[in-house]
Amino acid sequence: MPVAGGEIGVIELREMVDEFATRLILTGVTSELVADMGRFSEQARESGFADTVGIAAELIEAMNDVPPGSEVDAGIVREFSRLQASLSNESAAPREPELQKQTKQEQTKPEQAKPAATFSLMQDPQLVGDFILESREHLASIESQMLVLEQNAADTSAIHPVFRGFHTIKGLAGFLEFAEIQAVAHEVETLLDLARDSKLAITPAIVDVVLESADYLKQSLNCVEEALAQKTSAVFGANRTLLSRVRAAMTQSPAEAATAAPDISAAIEPATAASAKESKPKAGDSFSVRVDTGKLDHLMDMVGEMVIAQSLIRHNQTLTAAQDARLQRDLSQLARITNEVQRTTMSMRMLPIGQLFQRTARLVRDLSRRAGKQVELETSGEETELDKTIAEQLADPLMHMVRNALDHGIERPDDRVAAGKNPTARVRLAAYHQGGQIVVEIADDGRGLNREKILAKALQNGLIQEGAQLSENEIFQLIFEPGFSTAEKVTDISGRGVGMDVVRGHVQKLRGRIEIQSKPGEGTTFYLKLPLTLAIIEGLVVLVGANRYIVPIFAVKEMFRPTPEALSTICGRDEMALVRGSLLPIVRLHRRFDVQPRSEKLCAGLLVVAECQGRQFCLFVDELAGKQEVVIKSLGESLKNVAGVAGGAILGDGRVGLILDMDGVLQGTTHE
Amino acid sequence: MQSTHHAIAENSSALVAGDSRPGKYLVFHLGQEEFGIRVLKVREIMGIQDITAVPQTPSFVKGVINLRGKVIPVIDLRLKFSLPEAEYRARTCIIVVQVAKESGAILMGIVVDGVAEVLNLTAGDIENTPNFGKGAETPYLLGMAKVKGKVKILLDIDEVLATQDLQGLNGILQ
Repeated sequence: MPVAGGEIGVIELREMVDEFATRLILTGVTSELVADMGRFSEQARESGFADTVGIAAELIEAMNDVPPGSEVDAGIVREFSRLQASLSNESAAPREPELQKQTKQEQTKPEQAKPAATFSLMQDPQLVGDFILESREHLASIESQMLVLEQNAADTSAIHPVFRGFHTIKGLAGFLEFAEIQAVAHEVETLLDLARDSKLAITPAIVDVVLESADYLKQSLNCVEEALAQKTSAVFGANRTLLSRVRAAMTQSPAEAATAAPDISAAIEPATAASAKESKPKAGDSFSVRVDTGKLDHLMDMVGEMVIAQSLIRHNQTLTAAQDARLQRDLSQLARITNEVQRTTMSMRMLPIGQLFQRTARLVRDLSRRAGKQVELETSGEETELDKTIAEQLADPLMHMVRNALDHGIERPDDRVAAGKNPTARVRLAAYHQGGQIVVEIADDGRGLNREKILAKALQNGLIQEGAQLSENEIFQLIFEPGFSTAEKVTDISGRGVGMDVVRGHVQKLRGRIEIQSKPGEGTTFYLKLPLTLAIIEGLVVLVGANRYIVPIFAVKEMFRPTPEALSTICGRDEMALVRGSLLPIVRLHRRFDVQPRSEKLCAGLLVVAECQGRQFCLFVDELAGKQEVVIKSLGESLKNVAGVAGGAILGDGRVGLILDMDGVLQGTTHE
Repeated sequence: MQSTHHAIAENSSALVAGDSRPGKYLVFHLGQEEFGIRVLKVREIMGIQDITAVPQTPSFVKGVINLRGKVIPVIDLRLKFSLPEAEYRARTCIIVVQVAKESGAILMGIVVDGVAEVLNLTAGDIENTPNFGKGAETPYLLGMAKVKGKVKILLDIDEVLATQDLQGLNGILQ
């Protein structure tokens, strides 16, 4: 039997071998090799290193014989070289007399055995980059698994991926000589090993310390990344206290552990196979290519042109007159293919929303703990895809709204019980497609919005006049006004002034809007309605003289041909139109843009009722030419600041139409 | 931009060795005059087409066109040089040039009366811009070329469509 000093080394080696075997299974290498690995692992466990070196050497031989055709992926190769490194270290030592008891521990950690080589590997940016990427993936999965564990401490199958994650990070960090990262990962791994063997129960305190360690590792990875970019060596934050806390968590009372101990021990052995299955889809995810967004944009441009060219050909009169069935068939085939190409190109910018939801899971956990509330997070529609830019910019508003729901929406457990509700509140995040939009739902079953309180607050802040008649929706929308917060006291969670107005600002920037449904005592649901992509806009093509402009449809409320009765002027100058009981100013687009209209008479044209920044106005145009989806193009650097113009779009005939920036149109007018 | 200043420095002194000006020039008509721009700056030449006007821009900015999926601004060089405006005819065309800007090269179209030829000019063909007196700085003139008795004005198109000019343009807009 190995002595105490060597045991840790053996465990480490065994884990390494297990991981290696898992990867082998994943890549479908023959079962013979896997069996060999198992045997090897078994022996390592039983006898310590010395006897296994021979088998390892055989194995390495066998690995070298793997035909080049079989897919041995980078992970295997890396794992394998680590194993090899570990073994060669070992084989150097144990063949010497049985003196190695004390030195063994050191030798199993190659990075400690050869301090002279420090930073040699760190200088390989490729390796370090891979390390950062892979570690981040592990940390993300660690976080979600820990949350599962917290829900269900007996779910030992969740420990394994966490353990493996830390283990891999430790190994890689050791390989690359990031001693601090390695130290933390090592301690946590030891902690988790105890938990895995049911010697330690998973308590919230342990979950905390593991998550904290994950945070520390995340920060360290950021440091490494920064250092990599600046080509300096990484400086890590202090981890002493963290280390000691991890250790302290390990010495937790065994009595507690015993309660959790029974019935789980059996579940440990088959776990490797189960976890191998789990990680399979992940391997699929990694078949991706990073592409420069410039190239993607160019591709989009070209595809857009192809669609236009295709439609020009399709509507060519000579061709449509031709009585050639074959030609017609080919043309429609071409149209189908073009559409498919366009759709695929668009989808290349899309990301599933699930990652965003994952981040909120952590937030919900931390906040509910801090606020002493019991909250369960439910998510659905994680696979819903949305534009990368939108996903990135949605993160902050989403976090903020979840924070708000937890702080303002959800009551304390005793209040909930008093109200006859389940003490555990539910927060639901859902994403789905609806009518060409993406809807992100944030629902809580808390106390709901208090109409009276909102009204009182709005009056107090001068947002509304005394006696104003507001619909329920209008009242709810008040919470998005700047400086509005119904929280009576400022908590450290929310209520710090920056609030829902910032959220609305963000969402509007993404050309989306927020709708609210709320029932007192039953909860509140926020619906974030967002466009599928920022690259495409749906708009009304309007005509003014010979010019075509595109009015973004999200800004349009309605449109109508005015009658003389609906029109009035102030001092014979400012024109107004009566729309559904309210007087709205009229902006003549031809005057605003100084172009020749078809007719100056308002009754001969069309009024488009538009809303931007909460203000409504009527835009006077000649007529409506249609509704169209267009790809937004910049007008270029020299024309990017034209007031009232958001960009250009290439219309069906290949010419450029200007997309209106309704806010700019209105503002330019009020200055006159 | 560096090379431009370099060229100007040379212009003000006597002709020296290392003159960067010789090379191929695209010659086009504008009113009675003939102008030349470096061929390397030219991306393509296209017939006149529908230009979408952009509001609140100086009159020489004719608007924008679709150049194979990219929206590029078009400048009327006649108006830019304060020449009388002319109706666009069959020979009128848009020269798409690549202009160096601080943020990188961008494409712009210039409307000219017509394209004449491509000339290979040697250092001997090119003369410095005559001094029109103090104060009249003409950084966008590279020099004059005399070929077969006719004078062609060589333009530095980067300077003609220079940044400060268009920033001034933006200033007007705001």
